[in-house]
Amino acid sequence: MDFDLTEKQRKFFDDILGEVRTRLGSSNTPDGQHFTRAQWKTAADIGLTGLCLPTEYGGGGLGALDTALCLEAFGQGCPETGLVFAVSAHLLACAVPVRDHAQAEVRGELLTGMARGDLIAANAMTEDEAGSDVGPLAMTAQRTGDDYILHGDKSFASNAPLADLFVTYAVTAPKAGFLGVSAFAVPAELPGADAGPLFDKMGLAGCPAGRVSFRDCHVPAEYRLGAEGQGSAIFQHSMGWERACLFGGYLGMMNRQLEECVRRADSRRQFGRRIAEFQSVSHRIAGMKQRLESARLLLYRACWLMDQEREYTSAVALSKLAVSEAAVANSLDAIQIFGGEGYLRHVGIERQLRDSVPTTLFSGTSEIQKELIARELGL
Amino acid sequence: MTESEIRESISAYIRERFLGGDHKGELEETSPLLEWGVLNSLNTAQLIGHIRVAVGVKIPAMEVNPENFRDVRSITALVTRQRTAAA
Repeated sequence: MDFDLTEKQRKFFDDILGEVRTRLGSSNTPDGQHFTRAQWKTAADIGLTGLCLPTEYGGGGLGALDTALCLEAFGQGCPETGLVFAVSAHLLACAVPVRDHAQAEVRGELLTGMARGDLIAANAMTEDEAGSDVGPLAMTAQRTGDDYILHGDKSFASNAPLADLFVTYAVTAPKAGFLGVSAFAVPAELPGADAGPLFDKMGLAGCPAGRVSFRDCHVPAEYRLGAEGQGSAIFQHSMGWERACLFGGYLGMMNRQLEECVRRADSRRQFGRRIAEFQSVSHRIAGMKQRLESARLLLYRACWLMDQEREYTSAVALSKLAVSEAAVANSLDAIQIFGGEGYLRHVGIERQLRDSVPTTLFSGTSEIQKELIARELGL
Repeated sequence: MTESEIRESISAYIRERFLGGDHKGELEETSPLLEWGVLNSLNTAQLIGHIRVAVGVKIPAMEVNPENFRDVRSITALVTRQRTAAA
């Protein structure tokens, strides 16, 4: 067993961290505003929008663990966690299904556009009545000649208001239950595909999200991903990548947060001494470190299992649960360590909490992760 | 494990875990599991885990489709095929 990163892994982690700190490291976006196309192109220029896409299409050709390491560097160097999330969701929930299941006629063009940052993708799966349980999906796709006609509404689609491409899921065989679902990559310019207004969210303001409606939207059949009825498997596969790799970004955020807390405890003086000298403060930081390190080990192991093509369902669920719950707990601790200043928006500490709360909800709630873990135990 | 033992293992698991014991004996080899809503995404993942542990056969994600998971008969055929392919 070897817990060290390879020299190559260390180098690309350091290279990406340096690039991100230089080019995306200072927050120019007022809190509450989403990322700009220029920021997206910068992320693409660094290689972040195509980390695990094939090199022949401009991607990095990385596996799950190396992708997670790069996203960790991204999250550590970039204070705009909403941008980190937006790029990660684009890559893992949208580009991965296109990489693995798109038809030859459209695959190269879509992957090239997504890797280069010309195409921003949004994952449109959730519906008002279909969240954790995708069984009641209501959106339909009816085959007519060379097209499918998509009809229905999606919600909580990250990146949707700016998206050039929607990766979406619709019922093609109603009697087949959750396996009657098919996946599609839908160019946003097609008539009948429309993104709704921005959601006003608690956190991750840097990532715009909203509803998407499809009204008699004719989608050429070559934009179907995989075979009819494979939508559920394609979605679960992409969620495996998202639940594992996307949370690398939160490891990075927690690492930056920990460094900020150490500096704060070391520099802030009360009662004539550094507050780090109070065990109530230093032990709180030690607890943050323990949560971060244990979550990181679980995440690296989950990604490693994916790369080894071993069974990873339970390992990924454990990792997702650990990282998301650590992010919330550590962000609450960080506010306590910063005291009143931590409560002020311009300091940036309370924002980490608002950006962390949704981690226990998206990509499968904590409750769903525990259900998966329990069921893998045979319970 | 013979094909009939695989079939019985799958049937018994579905009866016990998803049908509350199926005391009325309604589950048949050709009962439409997807259409009846017996197999949803969570239950199917659990059944695949059972097949992995009890039969020693890993079901590839892309084989999880409506044809293969229509009923106990089709699931048994899938498991048998995968076991033969892996041998």
